[in-house]
Amino acid sequence: MNAERLAALSDPAAPFGRIEFVEQIPFGQKLVLDRYRLQNGLSILILVDRSAPVIAYHTWFRVGSRHEKPGKTGLAHLLEHLMFVEFEGLPGGAFDAKMEELGADNNASTWLDFTQYQEAFPKAHLPIVVELEATRMAKLLLSPDLVESEKEVVMNERRYRVDDDVEGRLEELLWASAFEQHTYHHPTIGWMPDIEAFTAADCEAFYRTYYAPNNASLILVGDLDPAKALRLLSRNYGHIPPAELPLEDVFPEPIQAAQRRHEIELPTATDKVALAFKGPALGDFDHVACSVLTEVLAGSRSSRLFRKLISDLGVAAEVRASVGPHRDPSLIEIFVSMRQGQSGEAGLALVQDELERLRREAVAPSEIERAVARSELSLLGSLETADGKASTIGFHECLSGQPNDAFARLSAMRRVQPSDVLRVARRYLRLDASTLILGRPSSATSEASEAAS
Amino acid sequence: MSSSTSLRLWALDETLPLLHTSVALAAGSSADPEGREGTTRLLLRMMRRTAGGRSARVSDELLEGLGSGLTGEVGRSVAALHGTVIRRNAEPFLAFLADAIARPKFDQEELARMKAEGLADLDELLDDDAALVRRAFEHRFYRGHPGARPSSGTRASLRLIETADLARHHERLVRSGSLIFAFAGSGDQTNLDGFAGALDVALPTGPSADLPLPHAPPPEPVSDAGRVLYFVDKPERTQTQILMGCLGAHPLDEDHAALHVAHTIFGGTFGARLSQEVRAKRGWSYGAYSALPVDRFRQPMTMWTFPKAEDAAACVRLVLELFEALIERGVTKREVSLARKYLKNSHVFAVDTPAKRVGLALDAEIFGLPRNHHEEFLAQALSVDKDAIDTALRRRLSPERLLITVVGTHGEIGSDLEKSIPRLTQSEVVPFDRDI
Repeated sequence: MNAERLAALSDPAAPFGRIEFVEQIPFGQKLVLDRYRLQNGLSILILVDRSAPVIAYHTWFRVGSRHEKPGKTGLAHLLEHLMFVEFEGLPGGAFDAKMEELGADNNASTWLDFTQYQEAFPKAHLPIVVELEATRMAKLLLSPDLVESEKEVVMNERRYRVDDDVEGRLEELLWASAFEQHTYHHPTIGWMPDIEAFTAADCEAFYRTYYAPNNASLILVGDLDPAKALRLLSRNYGHIPPAELPLEDVFPEPIQAAQRRHEIELPTATDKVALAFKGPALGDFDHVACSVLTEVLAGSRSSRLFRKLISDLGVAAEVRASVGPHRDPSLIEIFVSMRQGQSGEAGLALVQDELERLRREAVAPSEIERAVARSELSLLGSLETADGKASTIGFHECLSGQPNDAFARLSAMRRVQPSDVLRVARRYLRLDASTLILGRPSSATSEASEAAS
Repeated sequence: MSSSTSLRLWALDETLPLLHTSVALAAGSSADPEGREGTTRLLLRMMRRTAGGRSARVSDELLEGLGSGLTGEVGRSVAALHGTVIRRNAEPFLAFLADAIARPKFDQEELARMKAEGLADLDELLDDDAALVRRAFEHRFYRGHPGARPSSGTRASLRLIETADLARHHERLVRSGSLIFAFAGSGDQTNLDGFAGALDVALPTGPSADLPLPHAPPPEPVSDAGRVLYFVDKPERTQTQILMGCLGAHPLDEDHAALHVAHTIFGGTFGARLSQEVRAKRGWSYGAYSALPVDRFRQPMTMWTFPKAEDAAACVRLVLELFEALIERGVTKREVSLARKYLKNSHVFAVDTPAKRVGLALDAEIFGLPRNHHEEFLAQALSVDKDAIDTALRRRLSPERLLITVVGTHGEIGSDLEKSIPRLTQSEVVPFDRDI
């Protein structure tokens, strides 16, 4: 679209409504993403995809729990909850009611580096969704009663995901132990006392600071007319002023010089092992090689830990490994759930043998090929719906500024050699700088067990 | 759409280089031999792992190297192998799939491994309170009915299953003409048709004597009279999982669509009554939803919440009151209007991918419904009015024949919970790791 056409689509009454074309980005082999920007800094990515008469509309804010301060953990997530409730011109519950009336599939999520809001809806409803989402970005209302009620919901979510959940508790302790300086230390859902203490003023301040058009990207995917969409976006978002974003005040994590180890009792029938190594950031080439490494280690039924601990020795019920997809260096995690009567220490020793083997010998090219094939399948699967495409685009846009990075990563994965996996294994899988949590069945759980009695 | 042998369903589309395949048959866990629950699931796993006499290791490497996935699904009335493969590898994948279906090896060592894995899965389930409450609810709700047979089996049943059981079950189920093939996504219809045809030729013909497919659905389950509390006692719970329900819907009921609209209004969306009253107004539970599933026999209508332990009694009482009010006073015309709009507009997401489209057609076949059932059902749902909905509610649902299943720490909340349930007729407490 040329400048004249864009000028005609820009709303002259909106002070920040001028639309600028930025770039065209290939998205896979057949599709193309167009990037535009409003004068207030709002990034707009449009992917026309007519495979179904729907539109996915995502808003990704570059704010997550990494931006929170001690004593105020969980604020980004609580705000995400409140962003469904009440706005100027939309009394409590009206936002969701309107979305449901449109048949929209409507959700949101918060993680370490981002907060995102998403809906998918029949294509005819784009005008009203743009209006609703622009309202959400600028006109949130926060009353003390509303914040108190939503805090209860979030505390119940925390009980569900963490306090009463075996893996949730392990995961939280693992990250809190592995990070001492960096804000990846605290859980995205927040510590319970912090959630209890939040006020409407805390939420208001966070909203006014970070929910600004120059801190967000809109992703539109589906059966849409870009010109009509841009006209709507200019009209509805062009009145929202940019904000002065604060300097990000995150401390890099110091090098870990010794193993950190905790043993805890959990309400479970079997021993658990959670082991973490400091790993690379998502944007680091090592991250791709580490993804291959974790796939080879525990990504599938033919992976090394699955075969050894589950198929051959039958000592574990579940094994998993992953490398954190985060902006800053995070964790390579290994999780093992043992079978009844099998000790976590024995499982750990078997894991350590395999880690040592990865540091000693190159993996087979066929292991890399299988990891790449599984990743390709996974990527294709994520692109089946408009919503899936928007999620893939939004995640990489928010983390790296490269909305088609999923394809670049797959290409990079195809270039990974056994020597790359050997190198990252030697570089990152250092037991003397790892974090280990061993979980054992609590005495209360053992005593209550019918099987044990 | 169909052939003279096994049925074939298609939704081919070249948008993405991805082929989905399903090979299904209308017999699930409710057709497992009594006392050997879990047989169908172990059979599907054996087929996948030992296709054409391969070892599990070779099968895994082959499937993964092709960029494919192949998993077994066992519902109460369906068993299916669902596969997905990158289009360029469709041919070797289909060859493997044919081996899995027609030529598994009933290997003793692999069965021992699968049984040990199955037992470990049951231990893992004990960590998941949401799964635990669902399993307990189904066990108690269907007591004495084939619907109670868990697809994953029990510790006792898994130990009894032998390779001969799997071979016999394969012989009963996997026969020419009894399979339903469903293909979606990127594929060549002629080749896929050839694949299905070749399998039909390779399999034994005619229905098996002891389980002709589709076998007759089990009789309708009968719920207990009165209100029953089934408490799964688990220590150290700060939160409870609560699943309540009564007999619900059958897809061939003439008022099924009306009941579905009622469920949408009551607990089918975030804006529905349950979520608004339990979550939005009181903050008592992160989620509060109802469900109205269907199968070949009548299923329960359920209500799910998970409040903190201190709120459990009040939350159960509130949900009971909301449910009673729904039956007694029905729905409002405004609610009906909103629900209709939601159902009409959201329908596109039931059919927005080839895999979903073929999945709906497959469900209709499995459940014995007309081919156009999905479209007809939507049209009915969009035309029902308040009176029809209120009548369906009073006819089908009963707050007085209700099962209330709770996972929590009984010593802390059991007594208060019992007091919070008016007209409670039975109360039973079971340990969380009971083999059900």
